[in-house]
Amino acid sequence: MTTLTAPAPTRTDGLRQTLLLAQWQLRRQSQYLPLMVVVQVFMAVATVVGYGLLVGDPDPVTALFLATGAPTITLITVGLVMVPQMVGQSRIEGSLDWMRTLPVPRIAFLLSDLLVWTLIALPGMALGVLAGVLRFDVDLSIAPWFLPATVLVSLTASAVGYAMATVLPPQLAMLLTQALVFIVLLFSPVSYPAERMPAWLQTAHEWLPIEPMAQLVRAGLAQHTFAMPTRSLVVLLVWAAASLAGAAVALRRRA
Amino acid sequence: MTGQDVLTVRGLRKRYRGRRGVQANDGIDLDVAAGQVVGLLGHNGAGKTTLVHQVVGLVRPDEGSITVTGLDAVAHPEHARRLVSIQAQANVPISGLTPRRAIELVGRIRGASPADVRRRATELLDALDLGAWADTPAEKVSGGVARLTAFAMTTVVPGRLVVLDEPTNDVDPVRRRLLWQQIRGLADAGHGVLLVTHNVREAERVVDHLAILDRGVVRAADTPAGLTARLRGTLTLEVDTVPGVPVRWHAAARDAAAGHLRATASIPSGAAAEVVRWAQDEVEAGRLERYALTPASLEDVYVQLVGEPADVTEEAPAA
Repeated sequence: MTTLTAPAPTRTDGLRQTLLLAQWQLRRQSQYLPLMVVVQVFMAVATVVGYGLLVGDPDPVTALFLATGAPTITLITVGLVMVPQMVGQSRIEGSLDWMRTLPVPRIAFLLSDLLVWTLIALPGMALGVLAGVLRFDVDLSIAPWFLPATVLVSLTASAVGYAMATVLPPQLAMLLTQALVFIVLLFSPVSYPAERMPAWLQTAHEWLPIEPMAQLVRAGLAQHTFAMPTRSLVVLLVWAAASLAGAAVALRRRA
Repeated sequence: MTGQDVLTVRGLRKRYRGRRGVQANDGIDLDVAAGQVVGLLGHNGAGKTTLVHQVVGLVRPDEGSITVTGLDAVAHPEHARRLVSIQAQANVPISGLTPRRAIELVGRIRGASPADVRRRATELLDALDLGAWADTPAEKVSGGVARLTAFAMTTVVPGRLVVLDEPTNDVDPVRRRLLWQQIRGLADAGHGVLLVTHNVREAERVVDHLAILDRGVVRAADTPAGLTARLRGTLTLEVDTVPGVPVRWHAAARDAAAGHLRATASIPSGAAAEVVRWAQDEVEAGRLERYALTPASLEDVYVQLVGEPADVTEEAPAA
């Protein structure tokens, strides 16, 4: 019997392996992939329509807030809720441990997952925007950097979720995601202006990544009405870097 | 046939901290040479999985060294992972994929070309008689097929060291034989195989060398013949008993143990003729159903060394 031997590693191995891992993840989810996308779309549309019911007939500014907040809600829920749940599940079922025995750079696991989740989040985001435009009849002015900005938001949210799921015990991480949904939906300045919140909550959001995410998406969708404060961009980038590093360290950790 | 050591473990110790700290490995020495199948026997909680996880850097040893083809695996886990392929004790969930797709993807992740991987995957699927399930979604295949798929995923591009943790679990007897042939074939192709199992009887037939692990320590390590040598003067007498009739053993019988309608005892080989005559008389008198006299097996050695397997679950925390 002859067996295959692995060739010597090359520079592009990491990228090739990342894409192969992403293919593995996508195919493993393939059964539920359509359903996940449908749920995402539903969430985004429900945010727009549901808030619309809450506030009645909104004035143009409120309407624009709602319409441009919905895509952020979608991106954040995928990253902070679905990613930790999936990572937690793969830790519980043991597949993460086995995957970690493969000769793959630890960061490739993270990047492939982030790629998969970003792809899953995008359709819901697009339809969330469309639903907002149709429901509230708002005028968007989309910035050329809108797409890369959504990728940054999605990556940061996924990385925070990933770090949470790798550092905390799986059950705890999954429970925490449930609480996060409420915080993001109701107690974050995503679908309404920050001024409506109590002062202490406003201060907290100055340091959390949620408001900067909302601001970035909002400025990208309606650049004539909203601007992206530099401070928020810095906060967002720091969160992105810190959570990526946190997840990478957790993946490399040995028991 | 055997050559350079692919795995050398010396003085390996690992203690899991926490409220119920567990000394999983307590000074393990172990060698696997190229071309060898080395069996690592031990019941649940003996420290097998912890040992395996340390080889690929999922768990960090407290003390001791692990070298894979001369490379320090504790200092360079990422290099070690390139040299080692592992079949985990629990099946890797591959729902959403087919066995063929899973095998091919792992082969490509391990760096082989698509054409080579396709050829080798087909070869393995045929050799394990999995053709009928090769393209069936994994959620529809049986546990045995999933187990064999996991084996093929591990050996599609095998490392210099191949670690198989209970590869025969759930596999039907016919395919078990095919699997053993593949395992032997890996060694014959020059890979070192570390076979982790508690199936003593089956392991006996394929391994070149055996190590018996108990409570984190290697109690004995030798060839199967070497290990059973100490019991060479002993035979095992197995009898099927008649319901309600206790066995009145022959005077030469020692270490008698009784199960449901079945009992065993050890006898010195010198007393074999006498014992056979006694057993035949008992059968004719209707006090025994059947009897058999067999040479002492590895299982006997194992039980003698580690005692009856205690029913404990492995305390390896998720890494």
